[in-house]
Amino acid sequence: MDDIGPDRMVRGAIARSITERGLIPSIAGVAAALGVSNDVADAAFRKLRDAHVFIPQPESSEIYAYNPFCVGPTDFRVSIPGREWWAICGWDALGVPSALGVTGTVHARCGDCGDPITIEVGSNGAARSVPDGVVFQTCVPARDGWKDIRFT
Amino acid sequence: MLFFRSEEHARRWRERTSPPHWTILSLDQIARLAHAWYARKLAPDWRRHTSDEGEALFAELGLDHEFWRLH
Repeated sequence: MDDIGPDRMVRGAIARSITERGLIPSIAGVAAALGVSNDVADAAFRKLRDAHVFIPQPESSEIYAYNPFCVGPTDFRVSIPGREWWAICGWDALGVPSALGVTGTVHARCGDCGDPITIEVGSNGAARSVPDGVVFQTCVPARDGWKDIRFT
Repeated sequence: MLFFRSEEHARRWRERTSPPHWTILSLDQIARLAHAWYARKLAPDWRRHTSDEGEALFAELGLDHEFWRLH
């Protein structure tokens, strides 16, 4: 595990779990997959958490969102072939198909009236909405995104 | 970070909530941003964007105003 660094090994294990199993793994799951102790995996998770590689669950270094993927469920559901994912916001929802290199459909609701919004997303990121004319609004300046990531 | 049916719906939401800051992106802008931000997230050599790289990416999409500054 020391060859390329524990953080990169752990990121690789997380990525494989997402792509191959459709799951955001736990610390124990990554430890088992890599054949290391929970303490070693936990230390790597803490380092990645502190580097803002993922959003942790409250009072924990377990993953809540390995952006754009969230353990869910949330108000942003993303259908891809054979699987559904959740995302914490509209930006992330659109990123799920891109991260997986597949086409997908984002299911959300209008923040004002609650009407359904559907967005077809290509693996190249191109998007088309129903209804037409959908916009995205954010109220958190970019530099403040991690000050209160749960609000963001 | 919400979707709205139209700019009119986004304006109505702001009237109710009075956010101190806000900006609107077209669907094309946020879709391009999401693709650029996340397409390599699961790649072995992925790393977080630096602030300079993030601002450069925002600028490519026309997001070059104060709201999108990272420094």
